[in-house]
Amino acid sequence: MAKPPLRSSVTFLIILGVLFLGMQFLRPELTNPPVKADLQAPPEVKQILRNSCYNCHSNETRLPWYDKVVPAYWIVTSDVTTARQHLNFSELGSLPPAAQKAKLYEAVNQIQLGAMPLPAYTKVHPEATVTEAQLKVLRDYLAPASLTTPAETATANEQYGKWLPNGTNLTQTHLSPNGVPFLPDYKNWKAISSTDRFDNHTMREILGNDIAIKAIAENHINPWPDGTVLAKVTWFQQPDDKGFVHAGAFQQVELMERDSRKYAATGNWGYGRWRGTELKPYGNDAKFDAECVGCHTPVKKNDYVYTMPIAGQGKGQSQ
Amino acid sequence: MSLMNKSKRSRTNRAALLSAVFTLLLAGCASDVNPRVATRPNNDAALTGDLPVNPLQWKVITSAIDKQNSTMYTLFGNDVAVQYARTHAQHDYPAGSTLSLVTWSQQEDPRWFGGNIPSAPKSVEFVAVALGPDKKPTYVYQEFEGSPLKKTSSQESTAPDGRSAYLVNQRAAVMP
Repeated sequence: MAKPPLRSSVTFLIILGVLFLGMQFLRPELTNPPVKADLQAPPEVKQILRNSCYNCHSNETRLPWYDKVVPAYWIVTSDVTTARQHLNFSELGSLPPAAQKAKLYEAVNQIQLGAMPLPAYTKVHPEATVTEAQLKVLRDYLAPASLTTPAETATANEQYGKWLPNGTNLTQTHLSPNGVPFLPDYKNWKAISSTDRFDNHTMREILGNDIAIKAIAENHINPWPDGTVLAKVTWFQQPDDKGFVHAGAFQQVELMERDSRKYAATGNWGYGRWRGTELKPYGNDAKFDAECVGCHTPVKKNDYVYTMPIAGQGKGQSQ
Repeated sequence: MSLMNKSKRSRTNRAALLSAVFTLLLAGCASDVNPRVATRPNNDAALTGDLPVNPLQWKVITSAIDKQNSTMYTLFGNDVAVQYARTHAQHDYPAGSTLSLVTWSQQEDPRWFGGNIPSAPKSVEFVAVALGPDKKPTYVYQEFEGSPLKKTSSQESTAPDGRSAYLVNQRAAVMP
């Protein structure tokens, strides 16, 4: 049997070593900008966030030596940049309290669904894993399901008074900036679930078009068939004096339209959101939906859909 | 003889090793999906029992939440009722209208901490408006409760009263 000459393998290793050393000089800059408005929270909450999140999601990044070695350093730098864009605890304190809470709820949900800290990150940094006990501390901090503060009944009444005689009077095409069309017939679709969102004092009905309803009846919901459209209609919670909560002012309607060709770049779904009774399309440009995709990625293995449709669709007559 | 044994053993070992690897791979795939994310319908909230119609086949008029009792409601209507509710502030539903109020107990949404979703249904109520022999409307109220849902109440009146009045008096949620 012919063995490879020893000399050539040594040369090969030397070349590798030189390349490795040379690569160390290709270092994108990763700085810690000043901490402007750090999140204010109880110490036990802060400690968990600092331990598991702050290394990427703050301006207080502290890299262990092995993260400073290229190519690991390249991955870390890119991850930290993306992480800070999405959520930066060093700046979170500057947002209005409700927006801060919303970010924290999203963070807890990302943790709970196993999306954060990134599984690839906890493999190398097991100490960043959020334990069940720590998750409970975070949930308990957010949990007090504060009773909804009475919303402006007048606003809801005025909105209802204007809507009733006119219904939908769209004068424009109302395309979402990413090209997803508004479908005014959403209100006639069938309900597949509802949610009481105590995290932001809203309530929602989730509706599905005929393709969606058929898919649920046949249990073909992962993946959902192309042509599926899901609508989420959101109202502000309107409590009455007996503590009973009614659907108050209409906030928005959101659509998820499945088309594996048209929306291949966003996980086969097109996302759109229309706000207020004037149905103002949400988002400044076509890329606005990165926000939608980001929030839906933790449920990627469920074809990006959060809603668990109520079973029994398609059973029973309709009239 | 010993040679044969050896090759047999190594084959057995290889098979064992392969199946172990395969099992690990499978386990790896299975444990890859967070149980909260795993695809499943909400079976708890299904309306099972002997309902005359499935209100989930109708359209949504409005919804409500009872925070103290941790229940949530959706008011559905057939086409006649929905058409009326979305265009009238009054509550004189025309004959042919049927409303249905489904009450679910709530459960935490396993996929979104911060949200509650329907759990087991507590009751399904119906109000059907028909024209009586004197051309005046009659309101037929029915209630179904329990699991599976069974009829527990049935009344007829010439004017909405009690629960039938409650259903009829809800105003439609704004859906532009």
